[in-house]
Amino acid sequence: MKKILALLLAAIMVLGAVSAFAEVADLPRNETLYFGGQQWDPVVGYNPLGDNMNNGLALSQAPRGSRTCMFETLYMYNGLDGQLYPLLADGAYTWNDSLTELTLKIKPAAKWSDGTAVTADDVVATWNVSTQIQNGTYTGYAPYIESIENVDGAVVIKAKLNEEGQPANPLQVLNFLTGVYIVQKDWAEGLLAKHNNDATAVRTDPTPDAVYSGPYGPYFANDQLVAFVRNDAYWGQDASMWGKLPAPKYIAHTIYKDNDATLVAFQAGQIDVNQQFIANVQKLWEEQGLPVATYSDEAPYGICATMPTAWYNMDVPVMQVKELRKAIAMAVDYDNIIENAMTNQSPSFVDVPRSVMNPTDGEQAMYDHEAVKDLQWAGKDIEGAKALLDAAGIVDSDGDGWREYNGEKISLKACCPDGWTDWQAAMNMVAEAGKAIGVEIIATFPTWDQYQTVFTKGSQTEYEIFMWSPAGAEPAAPWSRVRAFMSSEFVGVDNNWSGNFGHYKNDRIDEIIKKIPLTTDADELKALYTEATQIYLDEVPSFSLMYRPEVFHAVNETVWTGYPEKDDGNNIPPMDCTDGYGIAALYNLELVK
Amino acid sequence: MKHTLKNVFHSPRFLVGFIIFMTILLTVLIYPYFVTRDPLQGLGKGFLSPGTYVSVYDANNTGTYRVELPEADDNRLESSLPVKDRQTMLDYLKAMGADVTGLDTSNENFHQLIEVWKANYSDADAKAKKYEGFSTQAKRNELRRLNNRLSTDVSVPMSVTKGEGDSATVSTVATSDYVKVTEVANAITLPLGTDNFGRDTLTELVKATGISLLVGLLAGSIATSLGLLIGLLAGYIGGVVDDILMFICNIFTVIPGFVLLILIYSALGTNSRSITTCAIIIGITSWVWTARSVRSQVISLRNRDHVNLSKLSGHSLGRIVLTDILPYIASYVVMAFILQVSSGILAEAQLSMLGLGPNPNELPTLGLMMNWSKLFGAYTSSNAWWAYFPVILVIALISFSLNLMNTGLDQVFNPTLRD
Repeated sequence: MKKILALLLAAIMVLGAVSAFAEVADLPRNETLYFGGQQWDPVVGYNPLGDNMNNGLALSQAPRGSRTCMFETLYMYNGLDGQLYPLLADGAYTWNDSLTELTLKIKPAAKWSDGTAVTADDVVATWNVSTQIQNGTYTGYAPYIESIENVDGAVVIKAKLNEEGQPANPLQVLNFLTGVYIVQKDWAEGLLAKHNNDATAVRTDPTPDAVYSGPYGPYFANDQLVAFVRNDAYWGQDASMWGKLPAPKYIAHTIYKDNDATLVAFQAGQIDVNQQFIANVQKLWEEQGLPVATYSDEAPYGICATMPTAWYNMDVPVMQVKELRKAIAMAVDYDNIIENAMTNQSPSFVDVPRSVMNPTDGEQAMYDHEAVKDLQWAGKDIEGAKALLDAAGIVDSDGDGWREYNGEKISLKACCPDGWTDWQAAMNMVAEAGKAIGVEIIATFPTWDQYQTVFTKGSQTEYEIFMWSPAGAEPAAPWSRVRAFMSSEFVGVDNNWSGNFGHYKNDRIDEIIKKIPLTTDADELKALYTEATQIYLDEVPSFSLMYRPEVFHAVNETVWTGYPEKDDGNNIPPMDCTDGYGIAALYNLELVK
Repeated sequence: MKHTLKNVFHSPRFLVGFIIFMTILLTVLIYPYFVTRDPLQGLGKGFLSPGTYVSVYDANNTGTYRVELPEADDNRLESSLPVKDRQTMLDYLKAMGADVTGLDTSNENFHQLIEVWKANYSDADAKAKKYEGFSTQAKRNELRRLNNRLSTDVSVPMSVTKGEGDSATVSTVATSDYVKVTEVANAITLPLGTDNFGRDTLTELVKATGISLLVGLLAGSIATSLGLLIGLLAGYIGGVVDDILMFICNIFTVIPGFVLLILIYSALGTNSRSITTCAIIIGITSWVWTARSVRSQVISLRNRDHVNLSKLSGHSLGRIVLTDILPYIASYVVMAFILQVSSGILAEAQLSMLGLGPNPNELPTLGLMMNWSKLFGAYTSSNAWWAYFPVILVIALISFSLNLMNTGLDQVFNPTLRD
C-alpha cells in the first residue's frame, strides 16, 4: 500500500512538472524568424506610450531606427544613405522657409489593426496624449516641438521658438519623425479614460490589446519565449508601401540567460538574426564552416556608426590640463584595441581618422579632412606624448617613475562597467598607455548599477576617465554628436544620459552647436563641422577608442536567406531586420532551398 | 620519522600525486629562467593557434638552400586548394549546369578544374542566380573567397621587392628555395598559441600556475592554522571557551562559504583585490571543518594517561598542547592542509572565472585566464581550445595530485585502512 501511494505521489509530481512546462508556443520553424540578443527577461507589456515595457521586439524607439514590427513611425531612417523613407507618412515632408513648420501627409492606405484608417488626428493625439502623461516622447521632444496640428488632413509640426524667434532645433524635429511611434487616437483616449487621466497608470498599463499599425501583433509571451504573429490584413501590402507581406509568419525571441547561451543557440541555428558582439565572428564560417554571414564578410563585417569614447572628467582639476589629455590619447595603442578588443570589427583610425563624425561615407564627407590633418594622432606615440608632458612641465620630479602635477602624483582611474568585455579590454590598454608615459592609470570596473549612477551625475570626481558612446547615426547626426561631445548645456545636469559626460566647457563650440541646426548652406555647414572637429582634436575633451556598429547583425542561414548584404543594390542597412529602414529586409527573406 | 617518511613514499598513490605535484612546481620554478619575457606582454594580435611563427620579412632576407622535394608540387596544390574546396567547386559547377565530365578532385585534373571554374564562375552570376545549394549569402561568400584564392598560380617563381624607391632590389624566389628556420632572425614557437590579448599562453600559464599555487598555499596555511588553533583551544580547554568557539564555528558553518566569498570579493572591488588579499579571504572563510575535526580529536586525546601525567607534572598549557597532543593529530593536520591548499586553488579559480578575481592588469591567475577566454568566446565563436583547455588541465592536475597525496597519506596513517 505504501509503495502504491509513493508511486502515485511520484506520478503526480511528474505530471505537475510536465504541465508546468506544457505552455509552449507552436511555431513552425520554417515560418518563424528567431531573433537573439534583443530580449532579456520576460516581456512586461506592449504599451507604446508606456515606460519600461521590456519588450525587445515590439518597443524600441530611437531616432536612428525605431523597431517597427508592431507600432510604426512616420518615417524610417536609413543609416546607409542618411535618408528618411516614408512609412506612415506619404512622400517627403516639407519645411516652411523659416524652418518653423514641418508639413507631411499620411498614406491613404495606412490602416490600424482594427481596420480603421490612420489619420493626421492620430499623430496629433500621439503628441497630445504624450504631453498629458509626460512620457519619454514628451520629455525628449518638448524642448523642440510646440504643437502638432491637423491642417486639412495634413500633419503640421510646429517647432518651439527660442528667444530670438528662431526654431529651437529643426534637426530634433526630424528625429521625432523616425523616433516616435504613432498611436491610434481612439485607443489612446480610451486608455486615458480607463485610468481617469492618471498619468502613471497610463504609462504602466501593459495594454496587451493595443491597436497597432505594424505587420506583427502579440502572439505569445512567457518567461522563456516571446512571439509575434503576422497580421495578414497588414496595410503595408498595398502597392504604395511594400507591395507584399513580410516573409516570416512569426517573429520570435527565446529568452536566454546570457550572451554565451545566445551564442551557442545562434551557432546551432536556433537563432536566425543575432544582435550580439561575437568575438572573432569570421571564425564561425572560416573555421567552423557554419552557414553564418554578416553584412560584409570582410572586416569590419558591419556598418560602424558610433564610437565608444573615453571621456575625461573636467571636474577633476588635473584633467583640465590639455596636454595631459592629449598625451594620454596619443599614447594609446588603438590598433591593438581594434584588433584585440574588437577583433577587427572596426575600421582603424588610419583608415578613418578621428573627428566628430562616424565612419559612414555620408558623415565623413561633411568636414574638411585636410584642415585638421595636423591635429590628428595615430596612437602609440609614446615619445611624442612624453615630450608633450615634459614641455607642459608635468614631469617626474621625485624619481618614483610617475609624473606629478603641482607636486602630487597623478593617479587616474579608467572605468567602464564590469562584464562589458571589449570595453574592459580597451580600458586595460589605456592603463597600459599610462604606464608607458609615466602617468598612473588604474583600470577599474565597477558594477553597471554603480557605474551608471556615477557617470551621469551633474558633477563627480570618482572616475577620471570613463567610457560611453555618443549618439550614432540618426537624422540629427552629426550635429547631435558634436553636441554630445562638447555642449556645455549638460554641465551640472543630473541624470544626464545625453552627452558631454566629462563636463567640458567651450563658448565657441556652444555657438557652433547653436548655429548648425539653422544652417542650410552646405559649404557653411562644412566649415562649421570642420571647426568643431578642429576644436575637438585640439582640446581633446574625450577621445574615441574604436568604431562600433550601432547594432550587431549576424545571421545564420540555416532556415532563412536573403538578408541584406553589402553591395546587393537593395540599400537596406544591417539593422537586425527590424530597426528603421532595416525592416525592409523582412520583405526580401526566403527559405533556404 | 624516517620510518614514517619511508612508509609514506612507499604508498603508490602518494608517490604518483607527489611526482605530478613536484613536476608542476619545478616547471613553475625553472621555466622563468628559460623564458624571461613578461607573461602579460601581448605578442600576437588576438588568438593565435599553437605553432611556430616565422617572420616573412626576415625569411626573405635569409640565405636560401636548394631543396628538391618530390612531393613539393602536390603539397603546394593541396595547401592552396584542399580537396574539400575542389569538391565545393565541383558541386557548384554541377549546380549551375556546367559540363563537368572528366573533372574530379585529383591533382592530375587540378588545372582542368581551375580552367572550367574560371570559365564559368563569376561573383555577380552567383549572386544573381542563387543556384540550388548555393543560395545563401554564407555559401556565396565561401565561393568568392575560394575564387579569390585561386588567382595565384602556385608553381612559378615569385619576385620579391626589397626596400623602397631607388635602392629597391628585386630578387626571384624559386619554388625550390628553402630557408633554415633557425637561421631566420625572428621566429617564435608558441606551444600553446596566444590568448585574446595576444599573450603567449604557455608563459602566462606557468606564471598563473605559480600564483595560483601561492594563493592556495597561503590560503591553506591560514585556514589550517586558524582551524588548528581554534580546534586545539576549544578541545583542550573545553567549558565556556569551547562553547564560545563552537558558537562562532557554527555560525560560519551555516553560512555557505562560497556565497560569503563572492560577497566579500565583490564588496572589495577590483583594485583592492590583490593576490594576498584574495588568499587571506579564502583562508579565513574555510577553516571551520578543520577546527571541528581537530576539536573532536583533541577531546578524545585530552583524557589519555600521558596527558593526565603531564598535567600532574605541572606542565604548562602550551607545552602539553605542543608535545602531548599535537604530535598525535599531526598526520591529520598535514592531510587537512593538503586538502585546504587544493580547495584554495579551486576557490580562486572559481571566483576569477566569475569575474571576481584579482586585478587582471597585474598578474595572471588560472581563474583569470579562464575568465578572459570565456569573455572572448574561446570555446564558442573564437574556437581557441588552447586558451582554456590547458588551464583546465593544470587545475585538474593540481587538485588531482593533492588529493592523491592526501589519500596516500590516509592509507599510511589511518590504522583501519592499513593493509
